[in-house]
Amino acid sequence: MKDLRIKDVKRNSPVTIKVDGNQLTAYPGETLLAAMIANGLRVQKESPVLQEKRGGLCGMGVCYECLVTVNGRPNIRACMCEVEAGMEVST
Amino acid sequence: MAKHNIDLLIIGSGFAGIAAAAEFKNSRLRVAVVDENLHVGGQLLRTIPQNLGKKERFRPDYVKRIGFSFIEAAKQNRIDIYNNTRILAIYPDRRVLIEREGKRVEELWCGAIIIATGARERYLPFKGWTLPGVYSTGMAQVLMKSSAVLPANRVVVAGTGLFLYSVAYELVKNGAKVPAVYEQSPLLDKLQLMPALMHQVSKAIEGARFMSRLLFSGTAMRFRHRVIEARGSGSVESVVLARVDQHGRTIQGSEKIVPTQALAIGYGFVPNVELLQMAGCQLDYDVEKGGWVAVTDDHLETCVSSVYAAGEVTGIGGALKSINEGRLAALSIREQIGEVPSRLAEKQRKKLLWQRSHHMEFVRLFNGLYRIPVAAYDDVPDETIVCRCEDVTVGAVKDAIRLGLKTPAALKLAVRTGMGNCQGRTCGAILFDLLSGIGGTSALDLQPFCVRPPIKPVSIASLINPVS
Repeated sequence: MKDLRIKDVKRNSPVTIKVDGNQLTAYPGETLLAAMIANGLRVQKESPVLQEKRGGLCGMGVCYECLVTVNGRPNIRACMCEVEAGMEVST
Repeated sequence: MAKHNIDLLIIGSGFAGIAAAAEFKNSRLRVAVVDENLHVGGQLLRTIPQNLGKKERFRPDYVKRIGFSFIEAAKQNRIDIYNNTRILAIYPDRRVLIEREGKRVEELWCGAIIIATGARERYLPFKGWTLPGVYSTGMAQVLMKSSAVLPANRVVVAGTGLFLYSVAYELVKNGAKVPAVYEQSPLLDKLQLMPALMHQVSKAIEGARFMSRLLFSGTAMRFRHRVIEARGSGSVESVVLARVDQHGRTIQGSEKIVPTQALAIGYGFVPNVELLQMAGCQLDYDVEKGGWVAVTDDHLETCVSSVYAAGEVTGIGGALKSINEGRLAALSIREQIGEVPSRLAEKQRKKLLWQRSHHMEFVRLFNGLYRIPVAAYDDVPDETIVCRCEDVTVGAVKDAIRLGLKTPAALKLAVRTGMGNCQGRTCGAILFDLLSGIGGTSALDLQPFCVRPPIKPVSIASLINPVS
């Protein structure tokens, strides 16, 4: 997939975050969900019964389908959390 | 626990909430606005945050420019705006528990409250809608507007309602390819909207702009088409579409497969009424207003004294209606404390109520035309997930309803729908469609979900570390 970051934006310097041990380039101010999608990562969690891979649906804090662990804190909605340098995320 | 006294608490900083806040210029009231989102403005008044960068061309339309001016006005009025703040509970005596920045719980004692919590998206489930890469139309827009990220380079847009075109336009404008927009209702319905749009000039102009840009960029507009399946291994790779007959059923044999990288779906909106319900306000189930809505008087006061409702929570109608109602609720409060003389207030109210009657006409027509036909659920395969939090299938829900269950509370106990993290916010509207559709429960007999604190999940750490 081509770069998903919209072109007509003058971005400030990127930072590195770690998702499941892999380093990703992200921009502070992006939501964690957006940064993951821009890097081709669409899966955030597993459903509790069927253990299906799931990803954000509503993008605005309603559906809880994008829950991840951020810096050791579980159950963080990736859509309601902004990227910070050095963030460690696990899905 | 920290306790604060506040004269007026406005819950939600979208169009309605911020329009209300902007009215309190030189007021002696201590006004605070709280919002769960990280930035002020709700779902529509979004821009990329300053630390991310700058958009080279940022030209919001006329209505959004008004909205952004309200945000400036509210800030100049020295109104406290608390973002990243969730309401955990609200009681009829206007005590409110909030959690700030995911860390600490505080208690607010409020003289008056305006509940302007907006709306969320409505869904019609289909096979594979749980695949990653199936996004709500709202999410597609939020990704672009708040983070300047496309959901994918190629996105099929499907569902029902005018918002589909707004999202498709935004996608195309930002460089994505939208092969087609699939609308389940016939084109004829669109034409019926025309007279009502005469009173909504800005909406009509906006609509024309979207359509012409989409046609120009080669996006096909298909009516009477519905997504019946999303396919892919691990993530959506193609969607199956079918034609829809005049009763709203899909036509067997009309299926076609369209390859795509993502699918954006939207079936209209559902008012966020949970806080109103917890505060003890009366709700009414009216499909022509979008489902459960707050019941108010002409001052927008609910049956709970000094608790007001404004915006999408009184009926899904968009930005202009929300502005109107934010102003109306603010006027009621300013009149009551003597900051606006009664005679002037009466005159202003008359004008606002006249405008509101036109907005309400649009609300009824719009939500009526774009409602999901009951027959649409006949074609949803039984193994399709309804409640994503608890992996409950549509077959399990239909069986429970056929056994005689009539309320969402009974369904929750029987099959766990609405038991999970989202507390029925995603599957709820589907359940009400099924209860009234195959269950035959009339609108008068329907009951909303039960709500109890905490109204959204909260960490134990927040509860045991309140600020003293």
